[in-house]
Amino acid sequence: MAKPDAPLLIFIGQPNCGKSTLFNSVAGHKAQTSNFPGTTVKHTHSLVNIDGRLLNVVDLPGTYSLHPSDPAEKVALRHLFLERPDIIVNVVDASILGRSLELTLELLEMGMPMVVALNMTDLAEKKGITVDAAKLSDLLGVPVVPTVAAHGRGVKELLEAAFHCLESPCRGEPPRWSAVVEAGVEKLMTSLPAEFPCIANTRFTAIQMIESGHLFCSEFLEDIHPDLKAVLDGVREDLAARRGLPAYEVIAAERHHLSQKLFEQSSRVQGRTKRSWSERLDDVLMHPVWGYPVLILVLLGFFFAIFKIGGPLETLLLKPFAGLKSALAAEFGSGLLFHLADGLLSGIGGGIAIVLPYFIPLLFLMALLEDVGYLARAGFLLDAFMHRIGLHGKSVSPFILGFGCNVPAIVSTRILESRRDRVLTSLLIPFIPCSARTTIILALVAVYLGPWWALGFYAANIVLVAVLGRVLSLFFKTESPGLILEIPSLKIPSLKSIALKIWFQLKAFALFAWPLLIGGSVVLGLIQALHGDAVINKALSPLVVGALGLPAALGVTLVFGFLRKELSLLIMLQALGVGYQQLLTVITTHQIVVFTVFVSLFIPCLSTFAVLWREVGRKIAFISAALSVTIAIVLSVLIRFLL
Amino acid sequence: MTTSIVQSPQGSALRIVDISGGESVRRRLFALGFNIGDDIELQAKGILRGPVLIRNRRTGVTAAVGRGIAQKIVVEVADGQA
Repeated sequence: MAKPDAPLLIFIGQPNCGKSTLFNSVAGHKAQTSNFPGTTVKHTHSLVNIDGRLLNVVDLPGTYSLHPSDPAEKVALRHLFLERPDIIVNVVDASILGRSLELTLELLEMGMPMVVALNMTDLAEKKGITVDAAKLSDLLGVPVVPTVAAHGRGVKELLEAAFHCLESPCRGEPPRWSAVVEAGVEKLMTSLPAEFPCIANTRFTAIQMIESGHLFCSEFLEDIHPDLKAVLDGVREDLAARRGLPAYEVIAAERHHLSQKLFEQSSRVQGRTKRSWSERLDDVLMHPVWGYPVLILVLLGFFFAIFKIGGPLETLLLKPFAGLKSALAAEFGSGLLFHLADGLLSGIGGGIAIVLPYFIPLLFLMALLEDVGYLARAGFLLDAFMHRIGLHGKSVSPFILGFGCNVPAIVSTRILESRRDRVLTSLLIPFIPCSARTTIILALVAVYLGPWWALGFYAANIVLVAVLGRVLSLFFKTESPGLILEIPSLKIPSLKSIALKIWFQLKAFALFAWPLLIGGSVVLGLIQALHGDAVINKALSPLVVGALGLPAALGVTLVFGFLRKELSLLIMLQALGVGYQQLLTVITTHQIVVFTVFVSLFIPCLSTFAVLWREVGRKIAFISAALSVTIAIVLSVLIRFLL
Repeated sequence: MTTSIVQSPQGSALRIVDISGGESVRRRLFALGFNIGDDIELQAKGILRGPVLIRNRRTGVTAAVGRGIAQKIVVEVADGQA
C-alpha cells in the first residue's frame, strides 16, 4: 500500500483510452491492457522511482462519468473518492476528444490537482483530427501533455508536468453552467450543513447530489437532514420544470455541449475523402452477413493454430522426459524413491512438455484478439444469439476470455451492469474450456482421435453453454437490460503489449500453477508408494468404473483435478503408469472421450470456485459446483452408452 | 418526421430527438456520448433482430446498441450535413 512519503498519483479516464498502457510505461508493466472497454476491472498499485523521486501510482478501471453504472466503474469512484490522491492524471482519447472531455469536466469540478494526458494523438491524426494541446490547456486551466502510450511517447513530459504540478498545484477552473443550474447549485450549497460529509468541495457535492439518483445516501437523507432533502427535491423539480428534462439530464446535457465546444475550440478536423484501412476492415468484420463467416474463420484459425503449433512441440519436448523416466526406473527400482522421483519428473515434465506447448500459442492468440479490438466486434455479432440464451453481447468478452482462464473471465463480468447478467454469465463461464482443459482436449482427443474430434468437442461445449444459458435464464425473473457497448477503433497491436501479457500469464503459471502440478504429482507418487491410491480408487470405483466405464486407476485423478485441471492429465499418465505415447495400450479412444468430457466439466477448479465465491457469492459458487458435477456425470454416462 | 433509429435509412445524417427508455438506459447512452440533439448515423443493422451500430458524427464514437434499446431511440432526418 501507499508509503506515506510518496505522493499518490491516480490514473483515471474513460474505458479504452489507453490508461493501462500509459500506466505500464510509467509503472513498469503491471496492468493488463486490451482493446475492449473495461479490461481493468480492478485497481493496480505500484510504487515507482522516477529519477530518484518516489511516486505511488494507481491504475483505476475506466469510467465514463462519475456516476457509476457497473461494478468496475464503482471501483474507480471508490478509489478516487477515498484514496485522496495528491494528483490526478486524466487520460483522454484524442481521437474522440469531444466525448472524453466530459469526464475531464467532472474531474475539474472536484478541484484536485490534475494533469491531462492527451493520449492516442497518432490515431487522432489518422482520423484527420489535430488537437492544439496548448490551446486546450488554456481552456481547461490545467497542463495538457500529448502522449502516444503505445510507443511510450510523451511519458517523460507527462511525469515532469505531474511533478511540477505537485509542487505548485494546478487545479483548473471548474466549469460554469447556465444561470438556472448555477442558481440551483448555489441554493443547495448554502443549505449544506457544516458537518455534511462533503466530497472534494461543497460545489462538487451539490452538483453530484443533483445529478445522482442513488449516490450520496439519498435514501437516508430524508431521515438525517429532512430540510436538506426538501431543498434538494425543490432544486431538482425546479430544474426539471424549467427544462422539461429530468434534473440529472440537465447538467449532463450542458456538460456534453461544453465538452463539444471545447473540442471544437481546440481542434482542427480535416475532412477526409478516403476511408482508413481500419474502417474498411470494419465494414467486413461487422458486416451483418459476412461478419459471421469471418468470425467462424477466426475461431477455427485460432483452434488449428494452437493445435498445429502445440502438437509437434509437445512430441519434441516429451522425448527427453521419456528417456529420463526409464533411467529413473533403472536407478531406483520401484520403491518409495522411484515414486517420488517419478512424481517430480511428471510434474516438471508435464508443465514444460504438455502444458506450455499449447498454453503459449493460446496466450498469444488471445492477446492478439484482445488488442486488435475483435472482442467488442464479436460482442456486436453475437448479441442476437446471446439474447436467445438470456444474455446480451457484452457477455461475449467474458466468455471469450474464459477460453484463456475462467478466473479473470469471471472477474471481468464486473463490466456488466446488472447483477442478473453477472450471475448468469459467471455460472456459464466454468463450462467454457479454459487453457488447462484445452491442453487436455488437444493432448488427448486431438492427438488420439484427430483434430476434428477435438473441434467437435468444442462445438458441443458451446452448444452445452447455450442450452444451459437458456435453461438457467428461466430461473431469473428480471430481463437482461440489453446491450450498449462502445466499439473502439481497430488497432494494430503492439508486440510489446502482447509479449507483456504472455509474460504476466507465464509468470502466474510458473508461480502458482506449476508448483501445484509438481506438488500434486509428488503427492500422488507418495500415495502410490504407500498404496493409498488403491483406497481412493476403490472408494470412487462405483463412479469411475460403474458409471463411466473407465479403468479404476483413474479415480485418483478426479480428486486432483479439483486443484488444477491439467493435473488430471498428468496424474492420469502417472496413475496408469505409462508414458504419454503408450497411452492407447491401457485405455481405448472411447474411454478417452468419456474421461475428457468428465474431467473438463466435472467441477470448477479451486481458483475458479474461490473467485466465484468472491464475485457473486457463496450460494452461486456452490450452485455452480453442484451444477457441473451433475452435468458432468449425466453427459459422460450418456456418451459412454450412446457414442 | 420522427422514427425509431431502427427504421431509419443507413448512412444518412440523423438527429436524436428522444430516448424513450428508462433512466438507466438514458444515462448509459449519455455516458457514451449519445445525447438528445446529437447528429448520428446508423452504420449497420445486425441480422435476426441483432443490434444496430450507431456513430456520433461529431465525436466519432461508435456504439453497438441492442435492438430493444435501439427501438427507443427516436430520431429525425438532420437537415444540414454534420
